[in-house]
Amino acid sequence: MKRKILYSSSNPLLKILSIGLLFSLIIFSCKGEREKSPLPKLGNFAIDFNCKDLQGESWNLEKVKGKIVLLRFWADWCPYCRYEMPIIDKYYRKLKKEGFLVLAVNVKQSAEVALAFITQTDVTFPVPLDSDGSLAKRYGVYAIPTNFLIDREGVIREILIGEVFREEKPLRDLLKNYFPSP
Amino acid sequence: MQKIISTLLIIFILPLSQGFSETKKFGGEIVHFKGQKLSIQWDSLTHSPLVIRAVESNLLEIKNISKLSRKEITYTGPVLVNKYKPLLQIEPDKLRLKGAEKISDTWYVSYWQTFGGVIIYESSLGYAIDSRGRIKSLGALLYPKVQAPVNNKVSHQEALKIGQAQIKDFKKLKCILLAESILIYPIKKKNSIDYYRVYAFNFFPQEALHPASVVGGWAVFVDTQTGKVVLFEELLKPLGCCIPEDWVPPKPEEMMKPKW
Repeated sequence: MKRKILYSSSNPLLKILSIGLLFSLIIFSCKGEREKSPLPKLGNFAIDFNCKDLQGESWNLEKVKGKIVLLRFWADWCPYCRYEMPIIDKYYRKLKKEGFLVLAVNVKQSAEVALAFITQTDVTFPVPLDSDGSLAKRYGVYAIPTNFLIDREGVIREILIGEVFREEKPLRDLLKNYFPSP
Repeated sequence: MQKIISTLLIIFILPLSQGFSETKKFGGEIVHFKGQKLSIQWDSLTHSPLVIRAVESNLLEIKNISKLSRKEITYTGPVLVNKYKPLLQIEPDKLRLKGAEKISDTWYVSYWQTFGGVIIYESSLGYAIDSRGRIKSLGALLYPKVQAPVNNKVSHQEALKIGQAQIKDFKKLKCILLAESILIYPIKKKNSIDYYRVYAFNFFPQEALHPASVVGGWAVFVDTQTGKVVLFEELLKPLGCCIPEDWVPPKPEEMMKPKW
């Protein structure tokens, strides 16, 4: 008897519930395409992180939502990482107010090493520390530099492994997709 | 009465605290050194500066910067160390060039610190020289009180065997020794630093040799005095970007940058 009532199409409350359920299913199935995967993939949501930078400021995905984020993994002993930093910083300074954020995650080094390095290269973007390398591992980083470009919705749009920003052009071209005049 | 005390506190204490925070403006201590105002961040363990910034001045000004060769640029480090020796607490001849690159009109110069002619792991002193020859700040990680053995008690061959033994499936993975050196390895403790003279080995599996491969390797540091492994860690591969079409595998020692 109860079953009948439940599936009765004449029940207005049930109709509303069914439509709501249908909408929820559609929304969730759309989201499902970009659900979290074990390793970051193009077109998927970025994996959440929580780390502190050299100034003690905490960074996570929620905080950077609405910004175009270049999540970059580096270490001071990697020469390619060194070469790219000034170019990246130039565009960070230029587009910071328009919502471009660089999070240059130092992998497996001390705060002192990272601080000395960023002073030497005169860069201004935040440098979160991944002292045990766990964030790099979760992001599947086995080579450095590795860059993830995350859009305003938190979706990974580019994964760039190795040195790509030694010249300005590749970075400028990349940012053209998100900013009118990088 | 309480109101009067509160008012007095606001009038007298608040400006004092603001004055204090003014000195912390650059995240460091303000020091007057030979008539120059500097902002310095100190390393609590080494008691050496991590950052020195010139306030309203420059640490050094190099004339005719545009005419200087790369080699001439590399002489600026010892000059800088000499000028700020009482603060940096090391001799200019202890520096060894790490890199000097010109990127967009700015020179980026960095050095290692050495002890007994041996590089101290992760030590550094570096700065940027702008297009007008100005050095406004320097970043450093120096060990002024370094003390370490100057000879080896364990042979190289013995240390290499110990290093190889750390890697599971060393033979199966066809691991190759891609870089090796003797280093001073400082291990920071709560209140002190232990310095080890180590054989530093970087091993990579055969498949890591292709420039596009993202396969990592291992760093193993073996104490030259006891043969004890003082560092064993997975190594990320530093990766350049451009692989030419006519790429042929180079000799392993030519292609990999060691982690020091």
